[in-house]
Amino acid sequence: MNIPVYDLVIIGAGPAGMSAAATASSHGLKIVILDEQTAPGGQIYRSISNPAIADENILGADYYHGRSLLTAMRYANVDYLPGSIVWAVSPDLSISFSRAGKSSQIKAKKLLIATGAQERPVPFPGWTLPGVLTCGAAQILLKSSGLTPAAPLILAGSGPLLLLIAAQLNRAGVEIEAILDTTPKGRYLKSLRYLPAALRNLPLLIKGVGLLVELKRSGIRYVNNVSQLKALPGSNQLLSKLQYSVDNRIETSSCTTLLVHQGVVPNVQLTRALQLEHQWDELQQCWKPSLDSWGESSQAGIFVAGDSGGIAGARAAEYMGELTAQRIAQQLGKLNKESLLKQTAKAGRLLYQQQAIRPFLDAMYQPADEFLKPSDETLVCRCEEVTAGQIRGMVAQGCTGPNQTKAFSRAGMGPCQGRLCGLTVAQIIADERKVPVKDVGYYKIRSPIKPLTIGEIADLAE
Amino acid sequence: MTQFSTDSQRRADVCVLGGGIVGLAVALGLQRNGLSVTILDEGDSALRASRGNFGLVWVQGKGDTLPEYAAISRLSAQLWANHAQQLKDATGIDVQLQQRGGLFLCLSEPELRERQAMLTRMRVAAGGDYPFETLDLQQLREFIPEAGPEVAGATWGPEDGHLNPLLYLRAMTEHFLQRGGKIDNSGKISRIEPTDSGFTLTSDAGQWHGDQVVLAAGLGNRDLAPQVGLSAPLVPNRGQVLICERVKPFLNYPTGHVRQTNEGTLQLGDSKEDVGFDPGTTTDVIAKIAHRASQMFPLLRDVRLIRAWGALRVMTPDGYPLYEASKQYPGAYLVTCHSGVTLGALHEGPIADWIASDRTELPLEVFNAKRFTL
Repeated sequence: MNIPVYDLVIIGAGPAGMSAAATASSHGLKIVILDEQTAPGGQIYRSISNPAIADENILGADYYHGRSLLTAMRYANVDYLPGSIVWAVSPDLSISFSRAGKSSQIKAKKLLIATGAQERPVPFPGWTLPGVLTCGAAQILLKSSGLTPAAPLILAGSGPLLLLIAAQLNRAGVEIEAILDTTPKGRYLKSLRYLPAALRNLPLLIKGVGLLVELKRSGIRYVNNVSQLKALPGSNQLLSKLQYSVDNRIETSSCTTLLVHQGVVPNVQLTRALQLEHQWDELQQCWKPSLDSWGESSQAGIFVAGDSGGIAGARAAEYMGELTAQRIAQQLGKLNKESLLKQTAKAGRLLYQQQAIRPFLDAMYQPADEFLKPSDETLVCRCEEVTAGQIRGMVAQGCTGPNQTKAFSRAGMGPCQGRLCGLTVAQIIADERKVPVKDVGYYKIRSPIKPLTIGEIADLAE
Repeated sequence: MTQFSTDSQRRADVCVLGGGIVGLAVALGLQRNGLSVTILDEGDSALRASRGNFGLVWVQGKGDTLPEYAAISRLSAQLWANHAQQLKDATGIDVQLQQRGGLFLCLSEPELRERQAMLTRMRVAAGGDYPFETLDLQQLREFIPEAGPEVAGATWGPEDGHLNPLLYLRAMTEHFLQRGGKIDNSGKISRIEPTDSGFTLTSDAGQWHGDQVVLAAGLGNRDLAPQVGLSAPLVPNRGQVLICERVKPFLNYPTGHVRQTNEGTLQLGDSKEDVGFDPGTTTDVIAKIAHRASQMFPLLRDVRLIRAWGALRVMTPDGYPLYEASKQYPGAYLVTCHSGVTLGALHEGPIADWIASDRTELPLEVFNAKRFTL
C-alpha cells in the first residue's frame, strides 16, 4: 500500500490548528489538516465559515475574531479534510483515520495534535437525566443551528464559560430562570494572590467584569454559594426539578433544562493512547501532556498546541499554534534558529500575556469537592453504570489505581473510553488512599480512540 | 492500598507472588487447606496477563504434543463447574461459566483437514477417549446460522467453554479477602532469601516472611525463580484482542477466534507475536483480526469496534506450563502457564493440594524446567 507522506499533519482545526497551518504553509511545508468537524473553527469558532445566527451581538466580537484565522487558513496551501476521525496513531507517525465510512492511513514527518479541550465531567446525583446538558452542548446548538434549549432553564456551575454562555443565551432572547453559582466560598480570597499577574491581561479581566455586570443588569436571578446539586425526574423520567442548597437551606426549582459547567480540561485521549508523558496540573485539577516551550512532547516529532496541551484559551491556542509551526519548520530545515527566535518573539509575548491570567482564573474557579469526589450514590461511569460508592468499595479491596478498578467494575470500558469518568475515578481513588492524584495515574487508553465498524477496519487488511 | 506496619502482620504460612488469576486460584486452594496466605502483587500499571485474556475454558487441541497437558486441561475443565459454583456461593458473583462446547472455525479446506488430523492424533494418544467432531459448513450452520460462505468448516469440542475473566478475577479476590487473606500491592518483590524457617521477601515497601513461597508472578517469575533454586525460561508472546459493542446474541458457542459474552459484547482475537515486552496494539494486526472475523461471521462488518488491547502471554519455549518444587530450597514452588482461565480449577484444586501436602497424583514431573536443559 502506498501511504501518502506529509511534512506536517495537524489534527484539529480550532484556533491552534488553523494558525499553525497558516504559519507552516508560509514555509512551503506539505500540510494536511484532519478535522473531525464538518467545517473549520473547532468548538470556539464553530461554524465561523457560515454562522448560523445573523445578529452578531449574540455571540459577540470574540467569536467573529475566528474569521481572521479562517481567512489565513484559506489562503494557505493546505489540504483540509473535514469529517476525518483519527482513530489510531502509531509511534512511527502513521495515522489511521475514518472519513465517510472509509478508513485510510497517512504518514507524518511531524505531527501536531490540536484536539482542544473537553468540558470537565460534572457528576452529581441525577446528572444523567434527559434534560441535563452541559453548557458546551448548549453552545454547540446555538452556534451550529441557532437552536436554544427548552425553558424553564437553569444554569448551574462555575467558571468564565458559564457566564459567557448565560450572556449569549440571554442576548438570544432565551428566558433564564436562574444562574446557580457553585464557586465555593472563600475562592475570591484564595485567588487574590494571583491577581497582580492577571493584571497583565487587563482587557480580559475587564471583559469578565463586563459579563457579570451585563448579567446583573439583565435581572436574571443569580444565586451564589450553591452546593449539593441534585436533579430529580418527573413521572416521565425526564428532568423536572432541581434541588440544591444555599447557606444550609434546601431549595427546589422546577426546570426542563439544566445546563451545567465546571470548566474545561485538555482532551488527552490521543496523547494518552500514544503514551506520551503527562503531568498533573494541581491548580487546574487535570492531566496535560508534558511539553517543552515549543509544544514538543516527550516523543520527538509529536507536538501539542492549544487547549489539548493545557487550558489557556482560544487566543493562547492561536499564538501557540504559530510558535509550534515555526519550530516545526525550523526542525525541517526551513529556517535557522536565529530567525526562529526573531519570528516568534511577538507571538511569544502575546502568549505570555494570555497565560498570565490563568492562575487567577484557575484558583478562582477550581471545581467544588462535590463535583471532583461525588457522593457514593452518584454514577461516575455513565457507559457501564458504576457509582462513586462502588469505586470506593474497590479501593477498600486493594485497588490502587484506575486500571485496577476498571478490571473490577468495567468503569472506563465503555464507548467513551473513560472521557467522562477518568478524572473522577482517579480523584476518588486518590482521596480514599490519601495520596496525590499524580500517584494514582490514569487509564491506559486503547486504540481505536473513536469507535468504528469491524468492516471498515477489516477493509484495511485487503 | 493495604499497608501493614507490624512485623507479626507481615508473616504468613504461604506468600504467593502474583495476584493474577493463577496466584489467586492457588491462594484460594491453600486457604482451603487451612493455611494463612498473603498475596504480594504489583501496582496499577503492571503487565497483567490476567486482565488481557480471552476467557476461554478450552480443551480441544491443547496438548497435541504432550498428552499430560491434554489430560490436565481436560481435568481442569471437568472441575470447573464446581469451582464456579463455590465462588458464586461465597461471593454471589457469577463468573458466567458456560460449558456447552466450543467451535474452531477454519477458512480453508486444507486448514480444516490439518486440524482434524491433529485432533485424531490426540484421540489416539488418549487411548480413544478424546471427544471431537469435524463439521462442514452446513453442519456448522446448525450450531451458528450466521457462519459466512467463506468458512470451510469447524471442529467441535463438547468439553469447551468460556467465562467472564474479569468477573473471575474479582470473585477470587473477594473470596480470598473474605477468608482473611491479605493482598499487599505496594510493589514488586525484588529479592527472595531462603532462611532457616522459610523465606524472606523484600520489596521497596518492606519485608515479608512466608514459611512457604509460591511464584505465580507470570513473566516476573523469570527473575524470581533463580533466587530459590528454580528456573523459569519464560518469554512474552503478544496477543491482540478487539472488543466490540454489545449486540443481540447470535453466537451461542465460543469459538477460537470470536466469542460473545453474556452481555452481548463481542471479543475478537488470537494473534500471536513475538515482540518482547510491548503490550501495544498495531493497526495491521487489528485489521487482520477484523478481516478474518468478518469472513467467519459477515454480520460483524456492521458492528462497532470499541477498543483493542495487547496483552502478553506467559510462554515457555514449548508453550506448556511449569509446575515445580524447589529441591534446593524446600517450600518454594513455581506455578506458571499461559492458560490461567482453563487451568483455574486445577490450580485451586489439585495444584494447591500438592503445594499444601507436597504430594500429588498429577504427572507433574513432565512440567518441570529440566526439559529445557536436557
